Amino acid sequence: MREEVKQIQRMLEEQIYIADAAIATALYLSMVLGKPLLIEGPAGVGKTEIAKALANALQTRLIRLQCYEGLDATTALYEWNYPKQLLHLKLEESSSASETEKEAMIFSEAFLLKRPLLQAITEHERAPVLLIDEIDRSDEEFEAFLLEVLSDYQVTIPEIGSIKATHRPHVVLTSNRSRDLSDALRRRCLYHWIDYPSLDKELEIVRAKVPDIAETLASQLTSVMQATRTMSLSKIPGVAETLDWANALVALKTPELNEEIVVETLGCFLKDESDVAAFKAELPRICTDV
Amino acid sequence: MSDLEVEKLVVFGRELRAHGLSVTPAEVVTATTALQIIDTTDRDEVFLSLRSILTTSVDDFTIFEEVFKRFWNSSRSLSTSTAVRIQAHAPRQTSKGLGFFLEHWGSSFSAGAQPIKVPGASDTESATAKDFSEFTNDELEEVSRLARRMVRRLARKPSRRWRPVKRGHRVNLRRLLRLSLKTGGELIELAYKERRPKRTKLIVICDVSGSMDIYSRLLLQFIYGLQNSFAKVESFVFATSLARITGDLKNKTYKRALDRLSSNVHGWSGGTRIGASLAMFNDQWLRRIDKRTVVIILSDGWDTGEPETLAAALSLLKRRAGRLIWLNPLLGSADYAPVTRGMQAALPFINVFAPAHDLASLRALEPHLVL
Repeated sequence: MREEVKQIQRMLEEQIYIADAAIATALYLSMVLGKPLLIEGPAGVGKTEIAKALANALQTRLIRLQCYEGLDATTALYEWNYPKQLLHLKLEESSSASETEKEAMIFSEAFLLKRPLLQAITEHERAPVLLIDEIDRSDEEFEAFLLEVLSDYQVTIPEIGSIKATHRPHVVLTSNRSRDLSDALRRRCLYHWIDYPSLDKELEIVRAKVPDIAETLASQLTSVMQATRTMSLSKIPGVAETLDWANALVALKTPELNEEIVVETLGCFLKDESDVAAFKAELPRICTDV
Repeated sequence: MSDLEVEKLVVFGRELRAHGLSVTPAEVVTATTALQIIDTTDRDEVFLSLRSILTTSVDDFTIFEEVFKRFWNSSRSLSTSTAVRIQAHAPRQTSKGLGFFLEHWGSSFSAGAQPIKVPGASDTESATAKDFSEFTNDELEEVSRLARRMVRRLARKPSRRWRPVKRGHRVNLRRLLRLSLKTGGELIELAYKERRPKRTKLIVICDVSGSMDIYSRLLLQFIYGLQNSFAKVESFVFATSLARITGDLKNKTYKRALDRLSSNVHGWSGGTRIGASLAMFNDQWLRRIDKRTVVIILSDGWDTGEPETLAAALSLLKRRAGRLIWLNPLLGSADYAPVTRGMQAALPFINVFAPAHDLASLRALEPHLVL
């Protein structure tokens, strides 16, 4: 394995993110080739966490754009600060400045509200990590707009002119696959898929993230989680839920799992009434297995 | 990097393409660059790098892995393509002509439809729960009224996007400020904005084969209702082949629409080739479909063609369309299970699988039409 890839893996581990070779390679390529990285996977497996860990590891800013339906350029890129502009015009009413001067004044950078995409492009010190979270929740028009920004990292504001990125941001996009993304966007990105972790990996994550946890408890808890994921539930718990549960059990000073404690705390990882019922029915079997 | 390796990557890309992955030249170029910056002696690293560049979805992973293993293990020259594109059209069945079929309908209009017991029939008396197979002519009008009402409500749904308007309730600040510059910063002229209405397009593809006989009469009435109230509706019918009836249905009266249909549409016969018909649709009309399009297929799923053809056509449709709805009149019956080969092949690609045997089931469709 190349030294740089190993280094990325180590850096992420320092941020308590357990990275396998696949994600380290993908991040390495994304940084060197300057291509955005599209990460897909079920909810709660640590997609967003990667961007956070990366930003911390690189000691740079994390700029996050949370997508939602109806997200448009004014909330993602920039908007003029209208109240400030109006106030300024009022204040300048008695001044001798000409109309063009006034106009140039209120359409200057001081009156510009920078939204995440513009922030990411104009970050001066070093390349930030731009996290475009849950891109599948935005609509197609926004996706097309995003493509434009991501292709040349340049934004044109009619009143000011073109702004080009001083440092190309490290772009991470996440998607829960709630809808298919356009082919054009997929092609522009490197692709990585995160699945639910294996038993060993999950155990490693629990140990790293919840250092106070007792060894037996950690292995019992991860086995229960692995078994839970094989059931047909409407909301399959992710790693985030495992960690919530582990923290809860540590807070309750639980030495070991038993049926009673699982029932008392299952709200940590099951968030749906029918799932709870299904889980309770299977619980004796799971407990004997563990 | 040597030319030989570049060439090998190009062949690898072609091999992936032959197995159904869409690999673009640009991606192959990226892959060549990537091979220069990774440790090419580490097979896993090469695999992971190429996978993250050359695939665009987790669905491609298995194929990629197989091709990768085979390709980089064998040094023998590879055949350029192993996949065969099948587009063989089965010989057309002898056609009876839609005209005949519609004339037959006409007679059933004048005589009044005979109640026919089918698996989808229900026992309750109320009109909403009454199976379409038992509908009489008087109740037909209700069907197109319902269609018109549903569609009117749909067209009014606001989207989250704004558009500038002359008069509205919300002030458009951006424009307001621009306008105020004319008057030296004084706000005199106001500008407004409002929510843009949702632009949902609808494409209806209706099965009019023999097995759908009892239902298609009503479903066509439903489509007629949709067609005459919604700006963007395209309608098609098929049995063994496909015909576009959008223009024919745009008529003042249903009777006249049917007359036009019968004179313009040919190729009717008793059999059903859903897969081939949908493939034909894809060939000619796929470009009309985008993510704002809801595609409704009305069929009982009795396909005499190969289920693979149907699956391929549907998967293509699904990828382009915003939503794929399959309405199956038989689904309204308690003892019906979608076990026919065609229906089995179709199910993985369908977003909404719903019954369409009575008015209530059509009414229940409304929320699914909004994207």
